[in-house]
Amino acid sequence: MIVVDGTLKRRLAAWLLATVGVLGAFLLLEAYTSAQRAADRAYDSQLEAAGLTIAEAIQWQDGRPIVEMPAAAFQILATDQQERVFYAILDAAGREVTGNLDGAVKPAWQRAAQTEPVWMTVRHRGTPIRLHGRELTSAGWESLDPVQIWVGHTLSGREALASDLFVRALTRFLAMVLLAGLLMLLAIRTALGPVRRLRQLLRQRDADDVRPLHARVPGELYDMADTLNALLARQREGRDALLRFTADASHQLKTPLAGLQSTSELALQSECPADWRHALETVHDSAARTSRLAGQLLSLARLRHADEDSLATVDLAALLRDTVMEWAERDVAQHHDLGLAPLPEAPLRIQGEPWSLREMIGNLIDNALRYTPPGSEITLGLERQADTVTLGIEDDGPGVGDSLLDRLHRPFERAGRQDTQGSGLGLAIVESIARRHDAVLSVRNVPGHGLWVGIRFPLLPEEA
Amino acid sequence: MLRRWLACLLLAGLAPPVAVAQSPMPLVVEAALDRQVVAPLLAAFERTHPDIALVYHDRSTLEVDRRAREVRPAPDVVISSAMPWQLARVNEGLAQPLHSDEAHDWPAWAKWRNEVFGFTFEPIVTVYRLDLARYMIPPTTHADLQTILTSHQDRLRGRVTTYSPGRSGVGYTLFQQDARYSPRFWDLVAAMGAAEVSLEDNTQAMLDGLSEGRYWVGYNLLGSYAMHWAQNHPELIVQVPQDYALVMMRMAFVHRDAPHPAAAKAFVSFLLGVEGQRILAGSTPLFSVLPEVIGPYTAQRLRDQVGERLYPIPINASLLAFVDPLRRDAFMARWNREISILDP
Amino acid sequence: MRLLIVEDDPLIARSLVKALGPLGNTVETFSRLAEACAALAHSRFDLIVLDLGLPDGNGLALLGELRERGDATPVLILTARDGIEERVRGLDLGADDYLAKPFSVAELEARVRALLRRSQQRTDNRLQFGPLCFDPASGTATLHGETLALPRRELGLLEGLLLHGGRIAPREMLETRLFGFGEVGPNALEVYISRLRKRLQGSGLRIRTLRGLGYRLEDDPA
Repeated sequence: MIVVDGTLKRRLAAWLLATVGVLGAFLLLEAYTSAQRAADRAYDSQLEAAGLTIAEAIQWQDGRPIVEMPAAAFQILATDQQERVFYAILDAAGREVTGNLDGAVKPAWQRAAQTEPVWMTVRHRGTPIRLHGRELTSAGWESLDPVQIWVGHTLSGREALASDLFVRALTRFLAMVLLAGLLMLLAIRTALGPVRRLRQLLRQRDADDVRPLHARVPGELYDMADTLNALLARQREGRDALLRFTADASHQLKTPLAGLQSTSELALQSECPADWRHALETVHDSAARTSRLAGQLLSLARLRHADEDSLATVDLAALLRDTVMEWAERDVAQHHDLGLAPLPEAPLRIQGEPWSLREMIGNLIDNALRYTPPGSEITLGLERQADTVTLGIEDDGPGVGDSLLDRLHRPFERAGRQDTQGSGLGLAIVESIARRHDAVLSVRNVPGHGLWVGIRFPLLPEEA
Repeated sequence: MLRRWLACLLLAGLAPPVAVAQSPMPLVVEAALDRQVVAPLLAAFERTHPDIALVYHDRSTLEVDRRAREVRPAPDVVISSAMPWQLARVNEGLAQPLHSDEAHDWPAWAKWRNEVFGFTFEPIVTVYRLDLARYMIPPTTHADLQTILTSHQDRLRGRVTTYSPGRSGVGYTLFQQDARYSPRFWDLVAAMGAAEVSLEDNTQAMLDGLSEGRYWVGYNLLGSYAMHWAQNHPELIVQVPQDYALVMMRMAFVHRDAPHPAAAKAFVSFLLGVEGQRILAGSTPLFSVLPEVIGPYTAQRLRDQVGERLYPIPINASLLAFVDPLRRDAFMARWNREISILDP
Repeated sequence: MRLLIVEDDPLIARSLVKALGPLGNTVETFSRLAEACAALAHSRFDLIVLDLGLPDGNGLALLGELRERGDATPVLILTARDGIEERVRGLDLGADDYLAKPFSVAELEARVRALLRRSQQRTDNRLQFGPLCFDPASGTATLHGETLALPRRELGLLEGLLLHGGRIAPREMLETRLFGFGEVGPNALEVYISRLRKRLQGSGLRIRTLRGLGYRLEDDPA
């Protein structure tokens, strides 16, 4: 079953989106900080210009700085954005000679401004402002004390410029993402070309063409193509096995059919009713054997192609009782003593496939009926171990030679005898079914009399 | 006050009972603007906003500024002609922005930060007595004034008046602005000093002196008051200087801590609206700023008369320089030096 | 006896007619489901031999229809050797017995005879097997027409065996019938069986033991 699980396009898009998301977050963060830096640079230079304009207006008189505050300095400070402006001129002792900062310039800032001009963003009465301070050495006749000029303004201009710059960066970035997305779609189309070619190649094939694929594929697809070839190889093997089996089977069927043909031919040539009777008896036996053989071949074939998911919980005791009961009613069982050993009381649950289990038990009984003389005792039973259960069948027939025991379950093996109507497929079927149930087949001679065949199944854990 | 109560009673009679139950929203306006002059505007506001109980205090610029800074609860709206101080208060963050349509449409040169608005357009004028023309050519420019002060020094001695820069914020601002435009201003100051100029605190005091005949010529009077006065005092001539005329604007802002911000914003929006400006232009001598408003007192009409030599005092951060104490000290020092420089 | 055979293979159909006709029956053969349905619609048969794989449908459909109508005519189904699921479904639907192909003619004859015998009993309520007869209404058993005076448990055992005449009567069923659901010794049932065996000696019938499975009342070949 092939289930559509998204598309490659969607997967690639998701990856691209994730990449763009992470990368974009960094890029945009960078864009944001750099936009702010740029805005700060632009407006800081205005602060500096205002500071210098004020500095130029400072004169010393009687050891005190005298300033005729230049109106232009305020306009520079306020900028086009009409910022609120702050300024202060401090003397060497840090006293505010003039200004509107009301002692907001901290001594630490003043010390910092002594060495070089400083810029800082601070809060002043609840409003964030940008401050610039510089120290001016006196140039007057009497005084050598320096003064400090502090200027500042609110941030709306910077924020507007920064957000403008950021929006531009964002727009560029989004355009880039869009373009990348389109290119990706194009790339996917091109990249999926070899897959389409491979599909075409597979589609053009005949149903029974299992030759390896010959195609040029990119490295990423090599694994898949190689796997496909491996699958084709397995199919080839399967097909060959099937052909071998069919050949075997038809050979097996041909033998009794040939017998039928020759026997009936001979009978037709004869004028003696006794010959006819003899021939008819042979024909009847042979027909019975052939039909049984056909049935077994069908079972084997079915076992080979059965679904894996037809397993169910099965009470092996009930199933065994039913099957034995059914066989005991049959004509073929009337000349044998077919019976069931006492079964354990509790149900014995295994994971199994009812039809194949019946088939298995049937084959075991059929085998026993065929390979033991009339009147023989055949007993089936179940024996429970810790977490396994063994289904056993025992007869008091002649048994088989030790050398044959291991080969018994091979197809077309007939315990070295050609006299019965067996095909030699019975135990092979049994073993095949046992394997499907993770069960173990064992065959042994019972000392003194007969043969014992057992199949040990794993038990399902007891239900709580 | 009585009229307002009458209006309230009248409205209470007309309005549905639900409206009676609602107590009117109070609104406190502190203004350096004569109540008499502005009365038609206030009345119109009360008509359009019957739900607002307007309390209007008319005070001096210094008192208005002090109240805006110190008195709590703060006033809702602050109006003053002391432009540098108004701007300094806004710069300190004492105003809140106004986002009405009227504020948005207001000309950019007449507002700052969308927080403070110059809503009048008052030319600064020279006023002289008709008698003066008998002895000399009346002055039409600043230079003319300086000329007659020097050429008729004896006749004009003691009969010249102007603002005291030390006691009047408006006067100080006007002189600062004069000094920015012309270096010859200081010659005029020296000439006035030589003519033993009388320094007054406000325009009304100068107008009274002129009408009484104590003064013959007054320099840098508020045109709005002077024109209003001259209508009933034919002996006085109001002259808008022809070389350049300063224009002063009353500035209004909504206080940051206004207890009734909604009413305050409605009031300022009304001042800036077409209706308020139309009343300014038609019923007061305060002159409308808006070019589309038609009436006897409009900036446009003034421009038509005087030409393009109107110099409105700019509403921007440069005004802050005038409130800088060091600059003020320097200015006053020079004033005192110049005014007595020609003394014998 | 009227028998209906529904079988599409002409060879098998012919051998069925050959095998069943001599037993004193009228045999009608149809090779299609539709024909068989038509025949069943207006005549009664004593037994139906039904092949499941037919050219115009599955024989189970006919069986289902029959039982739906409340028709209790005995039905013997013929299935392919590997058709265990079909076989189970057929029994569920109300088939009385089944035979897997290929089958021996002798077995077919035996099954048909047993079915006919049982359906006979059903009609007159009496259980009969050869010379042995049991009338549940009066609770009397006769052998060759002579009343068998039997104790209660032996009579119950006989009834149980007769219910499955010719087929295996499961051991558990017989034990329940005789002793209820209580614990019984392993030999308790065997005791009663051997008593019955003695009574049937020489009657042409015998009780065969099928180890671990049960007992079967059958003709004594001896």
